[in-house]
Amino acid sequence: MTSALLANISSDLFFIVFAGIACVFAVAVLLTSNIVRMAFYLVISLGATAGLFFLAGAEFVGAMQLMIYVGGTLVLLIFGVMLTAQSRFVNMRTHPRDWIMAIIVGGSLLMLLLTAAFRVPSWHEEQQVIAAASELEVADSKTATRLGLALSGVRVDKINADEQLKQGMSGYLLPFVIVSIHLLVVLIGAAYMARSKRMVRRTSEQAEDTTSS
Amino acid sequence: MSSQLDDQRIIEFDVRTDEMLVNMGPQHPSTHGVLRLVLRTDGEIISQVEPQIGYLHRCAEKIGENLTPRQWIPYTDRMDYLAGMNMNLGWALTVEKLMEHELSDKAKHLRVLIAELGRIASHLVGMGAYGLDLGTFSPFLYAFREREKILDLFEDVCGARLTYSYLTPGGATADLPPGWLERCQEFLDQFEPVIQEYHALLTTNAIFIKRTAGIGVMSAEMAIDYGCTGPVLRGSGVNHDLRFHGEEIYTEMYDGYIFDVVCEKDGSYPVDETYPPVPEDAVLGDCWHRFYVRMLEVVQSIKLVRQAMERYSSASGDWGIPIKLSQRLPAGEAYLETEAPRGQMGFYLVSDGTAIPWRVRARSSCFCNLSVTAPLCQGCLLADVPAIVGSLDVVMGEIDR
Amino acid sequence: MAELINIRLGLEGSAFGSIAAAVIHALLLLHVVAVGALVFIWMERKIAGRIQDRLGPTRVGGKFGWLQTLADGLKLITKEDITPQNADKMLFKIAPYVSFAASYAAFLALPFADGWVANNVNSAVFFVLAVLGLEVFGVILAGYSSGSKWSLFGAIREAAQVVSYEVPLGLCVVVPVFLAGTMNLVTIGNMQAGYFTNWFVFHDIFTFGTFWIFFTCATASVNRAPFDLAEAESELVAGFHTEYSGLRWSFFFMAEYGSMFLVSGLGAILFFGGWHGPIPLMSILGLPESGVLGNYLANLAGCVNFMLKAVVGVTVMMWVRWTLPRLRIDQVITTCLKYCVPLASVCFIGAVGWQVLDLPSPSDWHLGTGPAYKVHEEWATHTNNSAASGADDRGPETTEQYQRESDQLLPPEPDDADKPLTGSSGSPRSLTATPLGQELSP
Repeated sequence: MTSALLANISSDLFFIVFAGIACVFAVAVLLTSNIVRMAFYLVISLGATAGLFFLAGAEFVGAMQLMIYVGGTLVLLIFGVMLTAQSRFVNMRTHPRDWIMAIIVGGSLLMLLLTAAFRVPSWHEEQQVIAAASELEVADSKTATRLGLALSGVRVDKINADEQLKQGMSGYLLPFVIVSIHLLVVLIGAAYMARSKRMVRRTSEQAEDTTSS
Repeated sequence: MSSQLDDQRIIEFDVRTDEMLVNMGPQHPSTHGVLRLVLRTDGEIISQVEPQIGYLHRCAEKIGENLTPRQWIPYTDRMDYLAGMNMNLGWALTVEKLMEHELSDKAKHLRVLIAELGRIASHLVGMGAYGLDLGTFSPFLYAFREREKILDLFEDVCGARLTYSYLTPGGATADLPPGWLERCQEFLDQFEPVIQEYHALLTTNAIFIKRTAGIGVMSAEMAIDYGCTGPVLRGSGVNHDLRFHGEEIYTEMYDGYIFDVVCEKDGSYPVDETYPPVPEDAVLGDCWHRFYVRMLEVVQSIKLVRQAMERYSSASGDWGIPIKLSQRLPAGEAYLETEAPRGQMGFYLVSDGTAIPWRVRARSSCFCNLSVTAPLCQGCLLADVPAIVGSLDVVMGEIDR
Repeated sequence: MAELINIRLGLEGSAFGSIAAAVIHALLLLHVVAVGALVFIWMERKIAGRIQDRLGPTRVGGKFGWLQTLADGLKLITKEDITPQNADKMLFKIAPYVSFAASYAAFLALPFADGWVANNVNSAVFFVLAVLGLEVFGVILAGYSSGSKWSLFGAIREAAQVVSYEVPLGLCVVVPVFLAGTMNLVTIGNMQAGYFTNWFVFHDIFTFGTFWIFFTCATASVNRAPFDLAEAESELVAGFHTEYSGLRWSFFFMAEYGSMFLVSGLGAILFFGGWHGPIPLMSILGLPESGVLGNYLANLAGCVNFMLKAVVGVTVMMWVRWTLPRLRIDQVITTCLKYCVPLASVCFIGAVGWQVLDLPSPSDWHLGTGPAYKVHEEWATHTNNSAASGADDRGPETTEQYQRESDQLLPPEPDDADKPLTGSSGSPRSLTATPLGQELSP
């Protein structure tokens, strides 16, 4: 009995820990007024989300989360903050009116999502969970093989699908490449627009005027 | 991103970031002594450099008004403390010029011998510390390993390793001890092949060339305008060495010696094939050329030392008995510049007829060399500042006196 | 190990084993990082001394001063904890731990021998790269929160450098990954079993070139000379960790040496056969087949072999540091974008071409213990088989076979219906680690 209890507690414990960290630090992002601290809390929150992915066995997605969100997006954010900050520690003051607006919008979204989530029958009944699990294909989500195959056209994620439905299915490779090129174009465009501009300085006073404009 | 000052009017401006006022020094592992550099920088690019000196000022010149010339010799040691012998020589010659004191041949050859050994020792430090500035730690220790041997020789001569007070007005405090010449010969024979190590680690090293070639380019006119002397001047292609073009009392010491002025004449240096050629990226007057000039001067100094040793052994006369401690100086003034390792070091002596001078003045070579930092560093990157200051090879003791 | 602990303690299928196994692994890895840092710092000082024509530490702990780092560590612990006035206190205190955590987390997926890995992540290569990129966070936070311009300079330079070098590093790492067909580090290591001709570095000329680019990029991404501007002592006093003293400072260095060991170990596994030596000594001696103890000893020898290779990599990094001058930041980025990335791309294309055209390579000779292992992918069942013991199961060879096998997978095995997908025994599965898995297979 104790071992089963321990097993239950331990698996739930990690879930609670990770989910708790993610939520608490997400709230901390809202509540703090220092931008760099905000970014740091977001790092921890996204890292906890990656932990949730690892807990569910989706290792590839978890590593992807770490690399893209934490390693990429947040580093970019911090660079932007540090390079354009005018004062030492940047503070953001949010107007109370903005708070109310945000609570209304965010809160209603949260309500919507919770309602939709709890409407899925197999997610809130114990019996249903076990039954649903036995119907689902037991696939090992730890490998990225299925993702890779689906990317290149072998849609192993739709094995159970209707024959007719399977007719038009193809891999994700083409959309993937399209999105990548799109991103590349955007990056090059951004780099071009943000390039340093050369200008001739006639007198030093005129230079002050132009640089301050 | 080029650091050439092709047109002073064209500047690049970016996303508007704050200009930072950054302080480099006075305690800083990079600058050669207690030098404070106030940098105005926009992120990485320097817009203005202001060197601030005076942290090592010890009122040497004022003290000189209370001491006889022979008593003042130790103060010259402590000016350019890395080339103490050359400082002593400059002061000694100035006093002798005022007194019109003649030296025997042997004393002159002894002085050449000692001064050129001191030049080698000084350039070793300059070269090693330059590597240290750029991040390579090992050549510094190899240079000091060789320098230790020179300091051992000097210790045999006068008992001190850094502040010698050996060459005094009238000659030197003592003759060379027996066996010294043989030991010096051994050192030179062992030292010449070792110079190749420095070429591999520094002169021909791709990263070193990347850090120094094309950086801090100074034209010959600019060098002359700012009063730069020594390897800094010769690195820009100006053929001026006081051992050839100086005053009589100094150049007669080097009469009959065969050596070259290390400076690019008609596009080439006076080198032999053991020395690496000039890389394509290096522009005349950049940091690499200043460094190269010092490396070549070491070779020339070795030649001079060998000749001096021979001529000393076969010369007649005494080694130069120093003048009396409280020797009365004739009234008048004398100014003499000598070719110290870092440039032209000048000493000025005004006497009112007593043993104690009326005014003593030291013209520091590094003082003018340092003044060129500000225009050279404009528009360069932050990492180039130690490269430029290191190539000027300044010693704060000499600048602040 | 989890099952082993459970069996020995008589708790079948309990979570206790997994937790205990996890704790043991974590502690072992912590020791690897900490003791590794101790040894590497000593080694660095000795190597630096010898290169500079002097001895290194010679007093503490005997003639070779090998306890010097311990003495330094004790000194650092007893130092006063200073926080600069302008600093953002919370971030200042947390930054070294973030760096250390990132470096340590990457060790979780690094195998030391066949199956000796804390977490046999199937996309281990990707995981290690992702986590290594997190180390820059600690640096940025440290530089920013120190409240000093110098530290900020160092932090920005370092962040730009690390982020830029992730690109060619990723490109270089992909080459052995597609040579092996899997991202699982244990499998990649096992595929290079046998003589050194099976090593990927000798597979073709392009992979050989890839290794050198990998090493350069790895040196850059752990901030070692000639790419060590962040610590450029002679320029920025001490860069981003100027304001750190005492134990906090030592955490940065543990993170740095940990990362050096990690990327060297990664290079050893990807290119140099990991724990498989140049000569398959253990197989020649017949140890792996001679029961549990023999198996363990063979793995132990493999582990020592692996660590030796990683230490050689670290030594080369130190050697290079004490010889070459330092590059400027713009030269560093130029090297990355103008040299490393194109070279890595060319090597990548070349290696792909070599594989596609099926050109000959030394691994075709199959010198050593039989043909190289095929990739085994876990498809349907949660059995005790981890990829480590994949020698027994040959996985599908082609995509058609995958498709056929996946068709055969419906419905799932009857005995798996008792195990729900998530729930009570969900978490132990994510902690599979079977170092002694071979003797547990039926």
